Amino acid sequence: MSRMHPFARAGLLALAALCGFVLVGAASPGTWLLDTLTGLFAAGLLVMSLHLLIGYTGLISFGHAAYYASGGYIFGMVLQTPAFVAACGAWSVPLATLLAVCGTGLFALLVGSICARLSEIYFAFLTLAFQMLFVSIIQGLVQYTGGDQGLTGGIPRPAFLGLDLVQARDRYAFSAFLFVAGVLAVRLITLSSFGASLRMVRDNERRAAFLGVNTYAVKVLAFTAAGSIASLGGVVLAVFTSAAYPEWAGWSVSGEAIFMIMLGGLHSFWGPLVGVVAMRVINDVTLLYTTHTELAKGLAILFVVLVLKRGILDWLTDWRKARRKSPSTKEQRHAAP
Amino acid sequence: MTVSHRAGLSRRAFLSAAGALGAATFACPSILRAQGAAIKVGVPTILSGRVAILGETASVGAKMAVDAVNAAGGIDGRMIELVIRDTKGKPDEAARITRELISNDGCQVILDAEASGGAFAVHEVVRDAGTYCVHSISETSSLTADPANTAHWIFRSGRQGIHDAIAGGLYASELAKAGVKRWATCSPDYAYGRDTTAEFMEFLTIFAPDVKLVGETWPKVFQPDYTENITNVLNLAPEALYTCLWGGDLVAFFDQASLYGLFDQFQTVAVNMGDAPVLEAIKNLPAGIHSGNRYHKDIPDSEANETWNAEFRKSGKLPTNWGWQAYTGARFVIEALKATGGGTDRDKLAEATKGRTIDSPHGVNGTVTMRESDNTLVDYALGYGKTISEAPYLTDFQPTAWDVILEHETEWKKRKGFI
Amino acid sequence: MLDLDALLNCFSATSCLVTQASTGVIIGMLLFLVASGVTLIFGVLHVVNFAHGAFYMIGAYTAWSAYGATGSYYLAVLAGALSAAVIGVLFERLAISRVYRENLLMQLLVCYAFVLVADDAVKMIWGAEYLAMGIPAEFRVPPYRFAGGVVPPFYVFLVATSLAVAVACLLLIRYSRFGKIVRASAQNATMVSVLGIRVPVYFAALFGLGCALAGMAGALAAPVRSMTPGMGLSILIDSFIVTVIGGMGSIPGALLAAVMLGVTRSFGSLGFPLFVDGAMFIMMVAILVFRPQGLLGEKALR
Repeated sequence: MSRMHPFARAGLLALAALCGFVLVGAASPGTWLLDTLTGLFAAGLLVMSLHLLIGYTGLISFGHAAYYASGGYIFGMVLQTPAFVAACGAWSVPLATLLAVCGTGLFALLVGSICARLSEIYFAFLTLAFQMLFVSIIQGLVQYTGGDQGLTGGIPRPAFLGLDLVQARDRYAFSAFLFVAGVLAVRLITLSSFGASLRMVRDNERRAAFLGVNTYAVKVLAFTAAGSIASLGGVVLAVFTSAAYPEWAGWSVSGEAIFMIMLGGLHSFWGPLVGVVAMRVINDVTLLYTTHTELAKGLAILFVVLVLKRGILDWLTDWRKARRKSPSTKEQRHAAP
Repeated sequence: MTVSHRAGLSRRAFLSAAGALGAATFACPSILRAQGAAIKVGVPTILSGRVAILGETASVGAKMAVDAVNAAGGIDGRMIELVIRDTKGKPDEAARITRELISNDGCQVILDAEASGGAFAVHEVVRDAGTYCVHSISETSSLTADPANTAHWIFRSGRQGIHDAIAGGLYASELAKAGVKRWATCSPDYAYGRDTTAEFMEFLTIFAPDVKLVGETWPKVFQPDYTENITNVLNLAPEALYTCLWGGDLVAFFDQASLYGLFDQFQTVAVNMGDAPVLEAIKNLPAGIHSGNRYHKDIPDSEANETWNAEFRKSGKLPTNWGWQAYTGARFVIEALKATGGGTDRDKLAEATKGRTIDSPHGVNGTVTMRESDNTLVDYALGYGKTISEAPYLTDFQPTAWDVILEHETEWKKRKGFI
Repeated sequence: MLDLDALLNCFSATSCLVTQASTGVIIGMLLFLVASGVTLIFGVLHVVNFAHGAFYMIGAYTAWSAYGATGSYYLAVLAGALSAAVIGVLFERLAISRVYRENLLMQLLVCYAFVLVADDAVKMIWGAEYLAMGIPAEFRVPPYRFAGGVVPPFYVFLVATSLAVAVACLLLIRYSRFGKIVRASAQNATMVSVLGIRVPVYFAALFGLGCALAGMAGALAAPVRSMTPGMGLSILIDSFIVTVIGGMGSIPGALLAAVMLGVTRSFGSLGFPLFVDGAMFIMMVAILVFRPQGLLGEKALR
């Protein structure tokens, strides 16, 4: 296995994961596990795509949820157009997904090219401003987007490739596929030489520029890729709820995505996914005893920041390394973003 | 390679252990043990965020009804158990929670206490899943009026925007006949605000064709500062102002507007003023504001209503519109269950609910009915009155005759193409 | 959509012009009052206080309780400012001070956690229902009228207070010993501490001052705004818009930006009522793109 090209290894892993998910789905008796996992898939796509920006490029975006929502909206609006469904028939859903990704990619490209000139806090605020502008537009264009009520009336999902998305299992399988595809895309990017450029830009932008890397282009490309992958999350949500809501582009969604990344760990690839699950566990476990989920979340985050001082997976990794007592672990940690 | 931190805890195990906690979100003193298997009723509602008071008061209302029937022995010995969950006011969260309530918590009945967008999300789920459901909070008329939304196992136990609009238009037309012709509106800029205001103006114009809409201003929901909207209205110099702002927004608007002396200059129709929390929160309530009744202990002026009001306040919360609607929804569920002897077959429950009339402290003549034609509530106390500066804050209540409401509602449905 | 007629009509009528212009100034000064704390803290400590809205909320609720207990509006304002200051200092010592040198994300996380805890704490102590203070007796008077326009005395008081705050902060930071020490410490804490000055105390004091401003704003505005747990959110967004447009760290900039935004809202609600919010975000985008340091901010070391 270790002789294989990293891309091939990633691809095989993805395939194995997909098979695993589908088997779990087929074996699961009720629909609770499927619904929960579908929700986690959507959040996972949002978070992993944002991780590409925060963890690998060092770009802190406060407005990432805009691309998440845009994916759901484009998917829903396209499928709600009778002419489209009539024209594409059985291929409607895959084509709509493709359109959602491409449309969002264009949107992200546009915003990214404007924002990437700035750095740190200004970049963050500009992405936030664009996100709020996006929400204003959605809420304003009531005839097309349903305004603050969201896309109502349900989204038609014609069956394709033997999958009927109204059925819980098929919906889950489709979501699992999109999830695996999205995470694989992020993985391939980080493994590639482009990924290396991202890390160079993150660690020391000036030095990267001196080496001839077009840091602006790198940042814009990363932003576009991240936005496109986030849109897959929106598609999963749209399929799940048969609607699209402006809340998906709210800044609390963006904020929660950042917290999930921080909670899980910024310095490893899988950290954010750990964060997604951890956040959900905190939420659900607290709900069993009290309504004060906010308090529990707040205390958990404070604990992670002040006591652990890093994300859960990062802490676990460091702890394991310390136990193994290997000499030069200090060098092995990524430089702080 | 997927890291899972579930650590082997099965949620089912948790929930069966926690099943007795039921409505664990509140310090519920009387956790009754099930004698036969408890009948579970899922209640998705908003318990956090700015509108948390909606869920809190709706839960009190629902629990009042359920506790009463459980204390009297339940349904043939089986207790009813409310499973109340927080949707945080997010529609997709509402959809997810409703699905969980049905598939994982074993709720065969859903008492939906979600509002506007969330109610539609719940609606899609219970339609898909074919679960008996009573919407108790949503006031959006199209939820039951639009044939595209109907399903014979879904009902609404709350008031409807269209009824309020007709009653309001009728009441306001009296003002118009007394010379108040120039109207302006100031309502929140979202679906509820826009639809309600449009419907009110539509009916006002039908009843008093010579009124003129001189201008509108649309603050955002939860906007903290209404100064520009207030000065806009002052510039328009209307003879009357209509607003369907509600809750904390209405309180803030009133405080800010009174600084400008708005209420000395023209009449105001504030539909949602007649809500106990609003009335008690506005210090120095100006007198003479026309208000609809959301919930008021004197409307209807009956002993049953006074008793209900006192009972509700024992929970420590003020009775709201949401409270009586959820109470009514729970009552319909209970009556249906009594009729089926505890059976939760959807079609039998639907059959037992359709067209049913129940005793109600909130009904015009002591009863309310679930109208057969479109599964929605009629004959609840509805009308307008005027504010006064001390308790009970609302006086001069003029109930609107239901036959007039029904007549105009039918015409409206025809206009919209619903029938 | 665009109602340019209404806008032009207003420009030609003095009464409308006066009312709308004064409205704009009022809205602007209220915005400034609320945003001043963020600007102050960022300008000196280079920390973005994402928990600013929570301190506003704490100030408002404390003022409500104090007003209920004492019946005095001014005591209530004092109580609001003090409570926010005390909690702010505690927060700074326990949490913020550990993330001064960390990146933006850590600061955000710590502040967010505080907001969550504060929102729930407020809900537990005061309940989830909305509360209102009511206008104090001394301000329950008819509004002033001049040139056909209408201006309430309470807002005149708020505007005056806002201006006083602006001037006081400026003087404090620029010319007082305290201000100089804090600014020096923010640039090079080690050197300053070598001079025998207890830097952490000064940082804590400044952070407390910023929070006190937020709390005071909450308390001052309490008579005319209703309070719910979580009310800090909209305040936060508004504060950021003001701070970014004005220049992060510049108090005169924040003042200018706030008034600009206020006037935009005021006339915009006549001319383009559906796009008032959009217009504000577009302004924010424009500033960030063409002049990221804001109207009066210093050019940032990028």
